Amino acid sequence: MRNLFAQMNLLSKLSAVWMALMTALAVFGWLIPLPDPREYDPEASAAGLFSPGHLLGTDAGGYDLLSNVVNGARTSLLIAFISVGFGGLVGSAVGIIAAYRRGRLDYVVSTGFNILLSIPNLVLGLALVAVLATSSDPSVPIASNRRVIIIIIALTVVIIPILGRIARGATLTWINREFVVAARSMGMRDKDIIVRHIVPNVLPAIYSVLFLAVGVVIVAEGALSLLGVGVVDGVSWGAMIARVAGEFTYAPQSMYVPVVVVALTVIACNQLGDFLRGRLDLREGRI
Amino acid sequence: MAGSGTAHMRNNDEVVLEVRDLVVEFKIGRGLVVNAVSKVSFDVCRGETLAIVGESGCGKTTLGKAVLQLPPPKSGDVVFEGTNLTKLPKEQLRSARTAMQMVFQDPISSLDPRMTVRALVEEPLWIWERGTEEERGAKVRELLNNVGLDPDLVLNRRSYEFSGGQCQRISIARSLALEPRMLICDEPVSALDVSIQAQILNLLQDMKDRYGLTMIFISHDLAVVKAVSNRIMVMYLGKVCEVGSPDAIYSKPAHHYTSALINSVPIPDPTRKRGAVPLQGEPPSPVAPPSGCRFRTRCPAATELCAAEEPQLREVNPGQYVACHHPRT
Repeated sequence: MRNLFAQMNLLSKLSAVWMALMTALAVFGWLIPLPDPREYDPEASAAGLFSPGHLLGTDAGGYDLLSNVVNGARTSLLIAFISVGFGGLVGSAVGIIAAYRRGRLDYVVSTGFNILLSIPNLVLGLALVAVLATSSDPSVPIASNRRVIIIIIALTVVIIPILGRIARGATLTWINREFVVAARSMGMRDKDIIVRHIVPNVLPAIYSVLFLAVGVVIVAEGALSLLGVGVVDGVSWGAMIARVAGEFTYAPQSMYVPVVVVALTVIACNQLGDFLRGRLDLREGRI
Repeated sequence: MAGSGTAHMRNNDEVVLEVRDLVVEFKIGRGLVVNAVSKVSFDVCRGETLAIVGESGCGKTTLGKAVLQLPPPKSGDVVFEGTNLTKLPKEQLRSARTAMQMVFQDPISSLDPRMTVRALVEEPLWIWERGTEEERGAKVRELLNNVGLDPDLVLNRRSYEFSGGQCQRISIARSLALEPRMLICDEPVSALDVSIQAQILNLLQDMKDRYGLTMIFISHDLAVVKAVSNRIMVMYLGKVCEVGSPDAIYSKPAHHYTSALINSVPIPDPTRKRGAVPLQGEPPSPVAPPSGCRFRTRCPAATELCAAEEPQLREVNPGQYVACHHPRT
């Protein structure tokens, strides 16, 4: 790990530090003595940056922004990591197996990917949330926890075809290499060929897209919140943006604090993805 | 030329591999089929090196792979040491196939760039769980020594750190790990510099002697083939043209295609005159091969008979077989 860090350029190092910081906030943020993110301070509505007791100020309703950023990191990154991790795993596995088997399975799978990819991320996520997370009785809203789970599922479905198509394409470039034919002629089973020869060669392509996908999901979560189907009543970066969307002229920091946090996180993800791709591509990385 | 037939088959006890009427086709969509290998028969005796020659696209690589059932042929039999591989269930085929190994044309593509040389050469042993960790390590060192690589220098390096010739040595070491009885070499030297080609050919000859291998040597280069083979089979567009000893093939080729191939070998002597004019044009498409003799469209001796009827292999001289209606004399 230290070795990897040493090879980074300045921008990648900053990105790694930022992502580490955000991850740390997500995991240990609740230990920091901050005001409750959902409790407003009646004496400090729309406080500016560096106000006493509110380092990043408050929004028009008097909610502490730093506390929301720190506690929102938990929800936002949880959604991003789980949906990208799970979606990446499923998508890659399906893509690799489809490309390896070819034939009808491949046809069905790539058609499925193409159909999902042809629907804009946001519309797809919106449709899934709308179907899965609507309450039949308007007076009993869906619980915040369940909303998070449903958003994770929706975003996983968004991620699967993205990763799946990358994995399928990368697999196709390796499948006809002579070392795969050689392995088969030596009597290697298909399962071992995939695990030992295909997966390690396909992974670099997947890693870089995984990081990009984290960025995509963080933005999608924000967008869903803005449209009113995110974790609206919960604490997340998207919810922060959504809550102040109509009133940010009174307290501009309430908008740009979460936006800057989201933007930096997405940029850091892209940068790390780029770095990893270069590092893991043997021809580019080592010679 | 380019005919079928089995007149050249030797039905004696020394035959290790017998291939009969092998057909390999590839579907390329819209109902079109590439006739890559059409009813090819041949046999290989123990300790022999059979060379399969022909120009690019004549089906020689496909034939080599089809012997290993990669992929299984459409029809025909591949009998190796008395076992018909085409009829074996998957698992039995997997283990029967280990007695035959293949060395591929592109030495760099045939080695996984992510694996160390140790893992590459050990791989076949790993698949079959042969020996303990230490025994496998010792075997890998022995194999690398045998192919002229210093184990201490190469074990922990990866294939992209090596030249083509060194990669081919690693491939050969790997192919010998399971102690096969037959080695199928698919253009093992055509991707290498001329100076390296001789080294690899010598190495293959050494390995053949040391491990008592029977070899199929696929090449488009007649000069290379002459140096290594006991018997030569000339292919054209998925069919056999001529089978014979290297001497017979070189001194008195009976098939017009063989003769054209030999005349196309560059001779490093500017004062020597060339024989017949080399072939004109390209081979016809294997999707729609010509009727009768597949060579007739480029053959100087073609007649109506060649379009109407496919020539069968027949003996023209002792040990020399040709599939041609009008062989050269």
